[in-house]
Parts: sequence; C-alpha cells; structure tokens
Amino acid sequence: MTRYIIRRLLQAIPLLFIISVVLFVMMNAMGDPLATMGGRKVTKPADRIRLAHQLGLDKPVCAQYIYWLIGNDWTKQVGEIPKPNAGVFTPIVQCLDPRTYIDADAAGVRKGVLRGDWGISLVNRQPVTKVIGARLPNTLLLMVTAEVIIISAALLIGIYSALHQYTAMDNFTTATTFVFYSMPVFFFALLAMYLFSVNFRKWGLPYLPTVGMFEPGAGQTVIQVAWHMVLPVATLSFGFIAGYSRYIRSAMLETLEQDYVRTAKAKGLPRPEVVYVHALKNAALPIVTLVALDLPFLLGGAIVTERIFGWPGMGRLFLDHVERSDTAVVMGILMMIAVAVIIFQIIADITYAWLDPRIRYK
Amino acid sequence: MQQKNILFTCIMVVSILLSACATAASPTVVETQAPAAVPTDIPPTTAPAAKKVAKFIWTQEFDTLNPIYTNMWFVSVVYPIYSCATWMFDDQNNAYPSLVTEIPSTENGGITNDGRTITLKLRDDIKWSDGVPITSADFKFTYDMIMSDANAVSTRSPYDLIESFETPDAQTVVMTFPDPFSPWLALLFSGSTNAMEIIPEHILKPYFDAEGTIDTAPWNKFPSVGCGPYVLDEWQSGSFARFVANDNYWLGRPKIDELFFQFVPDDASQIAALVAGDGDVGTFFAYSDVPQLQDAGITILNSFSGYNEGIYLNVHPDKGNPALKDVKVRQAIDYGFNRQKLVQDLLLGLTDVAATDWDKSPWIDPTITPYPYDPEKAKALLAEAGWTDTNGDGTVDKDGVELVLKWGTTSREVRQNTQAVGQQDLAAVGIGIELLSYDADTFFLGYQDNGPSANFSLDLIEYSDSPDFPDPNTAIWLCSDIPTDDNPAGTSPTGLCDPTLDGLFQKQATQVDFAERQQTFYQITRFIYDNAYWIGLWQDPDLFGFSDRMLNVKMSGATPFFNVAEWDIKQ
Repeated sequence: MTRYIIRRLLQAIPLLFIISVVLFVMMNAMGDPLATMGGRKVTKPADRIRLAHQLGLDKPVCAQYIYWLIGNDWTKQVGEIPKPNAGVFTPIVQCLDPRTYIDADAAGVRKGVLRGDWGISLVNRQPVTKVIGARLPNTLLLMVTAEVIIISAALLIGIYSALHQYTAMDNFTTATTFVFYSMPVFFFALLAMYLFSVNFRKWGLPYLPTVGMFEPGAGQTVIQVAWHMVLPVATLSFGFIAGYSRYIRSAMLETLEQDYVRTAKAKGLPRPEVVYVHALKNAALPIVTLVALDLPFLLGGAIVTERIFGWPGMGRLFLDHVERSDTAVVMGILMMIAVAVIIFQIIADITYAWLDPRIRYK
Repeated sequence: MQQKNILFTCIMVVSILLSACATAASPTVVETQAPAAVPTDIPPTTAPAAKKVAKFIWTQEFDTLNPIYTNMWFVSVVYPIYSCATWMFDDQNNAYPSLVTEIPSTENGGITNDGRTITLKLRDDIKWSDGVPITSADFKFTYDMIMSDANAVSTRSPYDLIESFETPDAQTVVMTFPDPFSPWLALLFSGSTNAMEIIPEHILKPYFDAEGTIDTAPWNKFPSVGCGPYVLDEWQSGSFARFVANDNYWLGRPKIDELFFQFVPDDASQIAALVAGDGDVGTFFAYSDVPQLQDAGITILNSFSGYNEGIYLNVHPDKGNPALKDVKVRQAIDYGFNRQKLVQDLLLGLTDVAATDWDKSPWIDPTITPYPYDPEKAKALLAEAGWTDTNGDGTVDKDGVELVLKWGTTSREVRQNTQAVGQQDLAAVGIGIELLSYDADTFFLGYQDNGPSANFSLDLIEYSDSPDFPDPNTAIWLCSDIPTDDNPAGTSPTGLCDPTLDGLFQKQATQVDFAERQQTFYQITRFIYDNAYWIGLWQDPDLFGFSDRMLNVKMSGATPFFNVAEWDIKQ
C-alpha cells in the first residue's frame, strides 16, 4: 500500500505540471487585468503601458509562467531586446529566445511557486497565501457543515427509501428529491431569502438574515455566525441531498438483492446488522467515489451561494479575482484544488480497500 | 460510523468557534457609552445611548484603500469617509475648502495670471487621526510616491504634467505646470472621485525607505491612520469593513458612531437586504429595481457624476464608414432613434435623454435640447443625402451599397437592451444595424491591443465616460489623440480631426477663467450637437438608496458623500 501511495504521488507531479501550464495559459487569455482595473474608467494608455512593464505583464506568457513557477530573483538586465517581427509567430519566437527569460529590469524578487512564493495579487497587492488564507476558514466552515448535513440526510433518506420501496413515503421522498434536484441553486437561494428573510419580516414572523456572517450591532459571536449560516447551508444542502439520496437508494436496492444479504437474512441476523453492516458497507463504494470527487471542491467554495448570501468564502474570492484577471490568486486557488483532487482520490482508493477486502493495491 | 460522527461534530464546533473567535480582539457591543456630549443632567439610572451604526450594502469590495493604487469607483466614493481633500464639492458641485484655507484663484494669488502655477495654502489645525499634523510634506510625499518608478500606482495623471512641486513651508504647496492647466480644480488632491487624495508621510515613508516601494505596505489594506471623519477599524476580506468615528477630526466628531460596509456582490441580494431592512445605504441599482426599493421606503438620490450614455460615431478619415461622414446621415440617426421612449420604457422615466456629453453641468449651451424623435425627418435627411431603398429590402442604399452600421458596446444588460431598441427604431427609417457586444475588458482594450472601441472597426461605439468630472476637459476629441501605429496611446474613438473643434478644445484647456471657458464650451457643445458627432442616449446618474433611518443626507455628483460627517440616524 505504501509503495502504491508513493507511486501515485510521484505520478501526480507531471500531472500537476501539465495542469498548471494549461491553467496559466488559459488565465492569461481570459482578459486584460489593466483594461479598467475594476473601475468604471478605461485605464489611460500611458498608465497601461507603465503598469504592464512594472507588473511584468508585458512579458510573453511563457516568461510569466517561468517566473510564476521558479521566480525571477535570478534574472538580470541584459539591455534592450528587439521585438521580433514574426507576425502571429512572434510570441513563439520570443519564447524560444533565452534572453526573454534572463532579462528583467524590474527588481527580481519573486521566488516562485516551487519555493513557496505564490506571488502577489494584482488586485490588492497582497501575497496570494494571505489572500487565500483569509477566506479558507470561512469556506470550510460553510462547506463542511453543508457536507455533513448532506451525507447524513442523504443516508437517512436513501436507506429509508430503499427499505420501503414504492411505499407512499418512498414516492413522496422521490418526488421531493426530484423537485429539489431540478431547482437551480440561485433560484432556491433567492426564493429562500425572499421567503424567510424579506417576507417573514414583513409578516411579523421570526426571520432569518439576508446576507453576511453577523449583524454589526451584535458582533461576530458563535450564535450570530450559526444563525447567518442557516440559509446558505440550506441552499447548498438541498440539491445535493436529493442527488446523493438517489444514489444511495439505488445502490442499497441493488445490494439488498444480493445473495450474501439473502444469506445473512436466512441466518437470522438482526435486521439492523443486515442493513447497516452487510448491505450498506457494500453499497457504500459508489458513494465513496462520489464523495471523494466532491470533497476537494469544498475548498473551492460555492460560487453562487457565497455570492448571493455575501459569504466571504473561496467561491467569491475566485469569482472576484477571475473578473479582474488576477492570475496569481486564481492559479493559487486552482492549484490548491488540483492537489486536493489528487489527494482525495488516493484517500478514496484507500477507503475502497477498507470497505472491500477483495481490493488490494500493488 | 460513530467515530466519524464524533469527528464531524468536533470539526463543526471547532470551525464555528474559530470563525467566531477570529475577531474576538475587537468585540462589538450594541450598547456602549454615550458620546461625550451627553448632557450632564441625565439621571444616573438612564441607560447609555445605543451606538449609532449605519450599514452599507456594498456590491464591490474595496481592492485597496490607498487612493494612489485604486481605480475603483466603489473605493473613491468612500474617500470622504476616511480620507481628506484640499476641497470638496457640495450638492451643487461647487467646491468648498477643506484642507486649504481658500480655493486658489487669480484674485487671491492662488493661481498665477498665466494659469501655470497653483498654490495651496493649508489650514494650520488639520491633523491625521493619530494627532500628527497634516502638512505640505504629506502632499510632497504623495506626489513623490505617485511618480516613483518603484510604485505601480493606478495612474500618474495629472501629476506627470507637473514641472515643479515645491513646499516652501509646512502650510504651502506650489505646483507649476509647463502650460496652463485648466482641470486643476477637479484633479489636484480634490474631493472628486476622479482625484487622488493625500497619504500620510509619517506612516508610509519608513516603509518606503525600508522596502523601496509602498506597493505592499500594510497601510494600503488597513489605513488605520486617516484624515477623514471616520477611521478604518476592521476589514475582513470578503465580509465587511468597519469605520469608526475619528475623535481627532478637525471639523468635529461625526454624528454616527460607526459605518459598517457589508460586501454583498450579488445585485439581487443587495436589493433583498435593503428591502428587508438589513441595510441603510446601497448604490449602483438597476433602474428596474428602483420601484421595489421605493415601495420599501428607500429614498433614491441621484448623483450626477458627469456620465452621459451616448454613441460616438466613427468618422475616421480612412477607416470610418463613408456614410457617417455626411452630417445628414448622422442627424438621421438622431431623429430616427426614439430615445424619449427608450428612457421611459427601459429606464422607467427615472432620468432624461442626454443632449450632450456634458449634460447636467454648467458647460453646455443652454439652448441645446435633445433631437426629437421624427422618423419622417430622418427618412427625408437620408433621401437628401442620396440614401434611398432602391431594391425594396427595407434598408436604404446608395451606389449599390446598403446602409448597414456596426454598433458595438459592452455586455452590460441595459446597453444590450438599448441596442435592440435602437436596431428596431433605425430599421424603421431604413438604417440597418449589426449588433456587437463585448466583455468590458475586451471592449476597452487599447489600439495596440486591437480593442474594438479603439481600432475603428465599429461604426457606432456606445459607452459613457467622465474623465475629469466635474471639470469638462477631455482629450478624446483632439486630432492628436487619434490612435495610430505611431500613437497607439490615443484615446479618440471617433477618429475625428476637425480644426474648428480641435482649436476650441485647445483653447479651453488654457482658460482658467470660468466664464471665458464656459463660453468656449458653449461653442464646443453646440458644434458637436449641430454636427451630430455624438448621439446622446440618457443622462446616467449614480443611484444611491437610503433607508428612512438616515437623516441629513445630501448628495453631490463629484463628492457623493461630502457631508457624511453630518449624517445622522433616527433612533
């Protein structure tokens, strides 16, 4: 198993390299961070030229990537490099010219990702690690809470539906889950906000807060944060509960028909043991795959939910910085998720082996 | 399974506690001590006055609060809260002194007769929130930081025009330009959202000396020392920013104790929060949301900040559509587009049709009114110009060429709706329109990056700008600002080089006397209007909404929150 894990981690290195190149090139093609710089006015051309030079954005994308990866503190001034006139191939010619990488007339102080320097945000000039670090706890709080509720509720509903197939309750939960599953997140969020916040307040009923993590007058207390989490967590949970519970119901129904379950029943084992030990453990494999694929994205936050409820998490951070074409921050978030995907897949593989003794890794 | 449940429960509890404890160092309480001005005859048993907190629902989080680094309107509009300016602009957009003893003029010697040198005389009682006096050294330091190659500031304009910057004493700042500089009132450390404000030398100079740049100075993100009526107390990324009253404010402590900015990026959520009573102040609403806000008791105040939505016509001598070089065709577009109905239907009649790019300012010829909707006159003008529908396809043509124009703008919803309405109206008079829309970052790319608003590939270019408001100066009509391969930094979207207009713009840029300059602008606005070089769509004010708790609020176009220190809250 240890050799297997080491091999998987080594395989991840070239994979991460390829992912980083693709993402970096795509980010650079997305927009011009200097066009308006988040303002309503067009950046003056003279300022744009100056800023592009100061921020290193006038370098070809290959040089920008190299500096992002290994830094630029090793560069030096080599003087004026004539821009090649090769039409559409100009960027390629520039990338093939070693002087492109060596030359940096601005003070090269970046160490690069490989040495732990994720760069500076173009938006607020803060270190990327600091920018992401400020948001990650908020996202984990929201997403882990939601995930716990999703898995717990989905297990309850899925198992109940499987054990009571085609009963009135099963039909009801099936219909309800389809309604929630087909409802767009933004619609559910706004619907919930207007019902439980705006209209409840209008009707004189106890109401939930619309946005934020706490009321300024009350301060950031545990109760305030928990109270403000109700609507965003509910929004995040309902669609996923619906989806997960369908998977669990289906897997449980299939497993309950298996010979070994019938044998367990015939042996006179207690029903809870048959259901939760023999059936659920075997039905859990596809669920583990599903959860393992979802868990890394907890780090990325929920873009729509965080945006609507004003929750200061990673999803909003990602969106805000994508809109400003802030490559450093966006790359930081995406690479963090990429690493998490790889790690959680390895964890999923280990969990398979634990759930199903027939699975062995070499 | 049981162990897993316990683990999850632990994670949840720890997460909530961690999150809640993040700001434990500065807990907020509802009840607090009354302000110092509480009358002494209040019986000791009286409960302390509740803290006055105004909550802003802000759809864009600040990027930085250092005025020389940001380009965001959502930041510059809050300068009057935590920063300070030489002078502010009131609800009539008239300048009044703030850091200076008087507004410079030729009469008081603040401006030399040649209009090149401007002298600021600072008050001697102004100070930063930590008690350190504000002096000319802060102005000089701000100028030096803007011009330093080590600092990637958002813009150097107009400070890059300054020939010399001198501070003969602690209360005097002397700036000399090589030529008369007419927009000085709007742009030199003023309270306009288009200007930069001063930064504290005593805080930032040590950092600059140590690091060689202030790009990454902590003060940029957390200006704990300021010079406005409020001081930043806390800013949680993505969540909120809290400004508390500055007890050292030289004009006296503001009436509200705390201004709390809740960052809510979603427009619908902003509206819901205001309607639900979860916020006191909001801005940048869509016109379609205004009735709902008003029904909920939100008062809407318009802030005319110089923006007038309109269409620039590409009349570039080589790259412009030949049809648009005929004034009759340009006027036909004006007459053929029912903008009165557009404003009524699309903008709910909450604003008016714009006649010039300077509407709602004292700079337009008062006899100018928007072209009326007259499709018959539009057709007649087209016919006079030789454009008739000879092949019966509904679009006029001339010499075998159909009159089809490319209309490009950003992907902003109201602009796309306007395009659709305009296409329909103009089709009715025989003008074909091809609609194009772009992401704003793409649309506004410069000439060197082949941006559609700069490369003369479009015939009609729709946007609004207000570069030096409340000053009317702009470079986009100058011959010298037509972008070319040799001049890629040019900003003219029209490609127009008219010697008469160019001369008038050159002239106004040297006039420091208001009345004389106003007369020149009357000629400019009349010239552009008569020649239909710009098609006005609507006057585009910034909309601000205030809950019925807010008192004493006035709104200025140039300095929207100019009287924030006087705002109060009904309790």
